[in-house]
Amino acid sequence: MPKLAKLINDKDNVVTALADVAAGEEVKLRSKGKEIAYKCNQDIPFGHKIAIEYIKKGDKIVKYGEPIGSASQDIKKGDWVHTHNVKDDYIVLDKDGKPLTW
Amino acid sequence: MKFYGYLRPDGKAGARNYVALIPTTGCVNVVCYQIEKMIRDTKALPHHQGCLHPSKDTEQVTKTLINLGKNPNVAAVLLVGLGCEMVLCEEVLSGIRKSEKPVDLVRVHEVGGMLDTINKGAKIAADMVLQASAIRREEFGLEKLCFGTKCGSSDTTSGLSSNLVVGEICKIMTNHGGTFLQGEICDIMGGEYALKRLCVDQVQGEKIVDFVRDLYLRGLAMGADVRGSQMTAGNVAGGLTTLVEKALGANTKGGEVPIQSTLEYGEIPKGPGRHIMNIPGHGFENLTGLAAGGAIVHLFTTGRGAPNGNPILPAIKICGNQKTNATMKEHIDVDVASITYETETLEAAGQRVYEYAIGVANGTMTRAEILNFDGTMEILINGPVI
Repeated sequence: MPKLAKLINDKDNVVTALADVAAGEEVKLRSKGKEIAYKCNQDIPFGHKIAIEYIKKGDKIVKYGEPIGSASQDIKKGDWVHTHNVKDDYIVLDKDGKPLTW
Repeated sequence: MKFYGYLRPDGKAGARNYVALIPTTGCVNVVCYQIEKMIRDTKALPHHQGCLHPSKDTEQVTKTLINLGKNPNVAAVLLVGLGCEMVLCEEVLSGIRKSEKPVDLVRVHEVGGMLDTINKGAKIAADMVLQASAIRREEFGLEKLCFGTKCGSSDTTSGLSSNLVVGEICKIMTNHGGTFLQGEICDIMGGEYALKRLCVDQVQGEKIVDFVRDLYLRGLAMGADVRGSQMTAGNVAGGLTTLVEKALGANTKGGEVPIQSTLEYGEIPKGPGRHIMNIPGHGFENLTGLAAGGAIVHLFTTGRGAPNGNPILPAIKICGNQKTNATMKEHIDVDVASITYETETLEAAGQRVYEYAIGVANGTMTRAEILNFDGTMEILINGPVI
């Protein structure tokens, strides 16, 4: 019985596991009324993200329909997506659009 | 479903009918507490401000106190002053008076001590309660509703369920002409550009970016990178990878609804629709700011179970974590685990919780009200305590 994962926005390339998933197990999700299953390549804890498509190094990770960071390495479909393979791109900018340095 | 509220002289409608006991300085909170114990249907609004601020903060505290008095859930106001505080009692008095509500003032130095002030204040409050109790609920259009929102004690389920449900409510209620207030600049941090794009006016949108930058710079002045303190180890363990991800999850409380304006702390919006207020995430200052902005019901999403409310703003706890809904049952008003596990559509849950919120506006008590878990509040100050 595949475990559930949640797709928030149809533009997203990651989904969120709604249960602890073991490597090799499948998760299923609903998108536009259709059910799709994905095999997970690693153990993925509840609340963590799974790639539902191939994400090339440097490409954006999309959740809520918006980029949340970029891939720091190539990410395969079914991979666990977290701090080990995602770069946080967020910086605070000054009024002129230049990064405020820490 | 209709809204039955208490009509105020300024044409607004309240969900509650309290006589508010407002101290102009934290020094006299105890006077308000004593009167609250003696006189039914009074609410003390305790805080720790009112004195020894830079002038900008004195101004912010004064405006907040005035706008709290103007909140439609308040029928009448008794101000309690000490007599030497920086916030000027007369200024607060005349500010609230503009709403044409009954308002009066007692001052401890003037009366001569706490005991006589309690006695004098209680007599005034008793008369105010009698007068307020004669006001009947009447039918209003749904455009009179003003909801605030924030998330607290959040977890993974917040961005997957309860926040999305509130985003749906924001859509429904603003379509009906209602007003929706949102803030939590710390939680917007990382998502400010996504919110900016939703602003009907880009000047307002730039202000959201300014709010975030100001928070960041205030952190820097303390030698802290607030980006780091905003992203906790617990967040990462729970599956949140970046600050932007966390922010987007928090921002969904307004969905894709266009943003009409930005507001300063405790400012009352000029029109209906969705507005972003410059308020912190910390619950006490947050709910006080939203109450001052005119919210009459609060949509408080939670994952692990945040129990707090606010003295005059009924806070509905909305939770999508199945476990919390069982273990923290006495604190949770609405269960939306159905959204986490996709057994209910977002549209249906949005409508269901919207109707629940109208019920609360009509008098259904929140768990925080029933448990008296709503007695603490604070007013935001930005500068040093002198």
